[in-house]
Amino acid sequence: MSSIQLEAFLARLYVDSDARANFKANPRAEAKKAGLSEDQCTALEKLDWIGLEMAARSFAKKRQLKRRPSWFAAFQLRLSRLRFLRFLQ
Amino acid sequence: MNNLTDRVGLGWRPDLAAGILEHLDGIDLLEVIADDFFSAPRRQVRALKTLAAQIPVVLHGVSLGLASSSSVETKRLDQMARLMEEVSPEFWSEHLAFVRAGGIEIGHLAAPPRCSATVDAAAANLHRAQAAVGAKPLVENIATLIDPPASTLSESDWIAGILSSSNCGLLLDLHNVLANGLNHGYDPFEFVRQIPPERIAAIHIAGGKFISAPDGTQRLLDDHFHDVPDPVFDLLEETAARASGPLTVILERDGDYPSMDSLLAQIAQARRALAKGRQRRMQPVEAVA
Repeated sequence: MSSIQLEAFLARLYVDSDARANFKANPRAEAKKAGLSEDQCTALEKLDWIGLEMAARSFAKKRQLKRRPSWFAAFQLRLSRLRFLRFLQ
Repeated sequence: MNNLTDRVGLGWRPDLAAGILEHLDGIDLLEVIADDFFSAPRRQVRALKTLAAQIPVVLHGVSLGLASSSSVETKRLDQMARLMEEVSPEFWSEHLAFVRAGGIEIGHLAAPPRCSATVDAAAANLHRAQAAVGAKPLVENIATLIDPPASTLSESDWIAGILSSSNCGLLLDLHNVLANGLNHGYDPFEFVRQIPPERIAAIHIAGGKFISAPDGTQRLLDDHFHDVPDPVFDLLEETAARASGPLTVILERDGDYPSMDSLLAQIAQARRALAKGRQRRMQPVEAVA
């Protein structure tokens, strides 16, 4: 089975807390349902669970930062870009 | 000073613009996040070209996902190619990561399973990137809080495999090496020794912070919000003692910005670490080992 499916499965775990909960409750069944190979299912049963939660939290923070820059951060960014453009003129 | 013309520069960030422009004489080059300019107005790209005329600039990509098992998107490669043509940087770089899969955007750099299949996939993506952009990127090792499952290769073997298959140079991020070493139980210095020294062309240095895991243990998060810690400078010295070509070192800082004096002091410390490493390199092999 391809690494493409495994990466898609991991991506889902990183962004979806329900998918993580389901997977944690029954790792092998969830991995099998995603069409992963026996070897991949076995590897996922030995997953670094703490790392998974920490990585998911870190990715969520990054997505949040990208989605919603605060008005102040956006203002600061515009201001410094303006200064930069003026400096170069 | 050493005779390999090593250079130390800084990551360009809009928040640091004024300070950087006032201190160009203390900075050898700038690394610009390419993705910030893919959809930027023309005048911003012109401003970047003007900047590149004043100081050497290199471009750094963050969203191509070159180590993905899927093919890297043509649209994204075209954007990089256009920017490369307009800015004419000294080189460009990207991460050995996947950032999307199965239609899901992860939002940041994720480590793929380290196995022969992903070595081949990364090499194929790097060949496509070279063909589209017109130059090979330097590839960067990433930090990961999770040890990627279904891995059959060590991180250093996986990276060496990709470097060999793609014939690319390495942008070695030393804080990522430190973080992965501490988080996943290997010696960061041993890791540096396992990387083919002739492939190391550039280096990232940065800082991070320890975060608590649910089980009470701690892991090092590579957030670029803190000063470069001493072990990273020690790793820089070790790398300089081993690398055979000139090194381009970039200090990365993404937030909680300190004064320019503090950033320039870290650049100066990096220069000292490089010089110490190069001095060791000049010594007989028995003395270095």
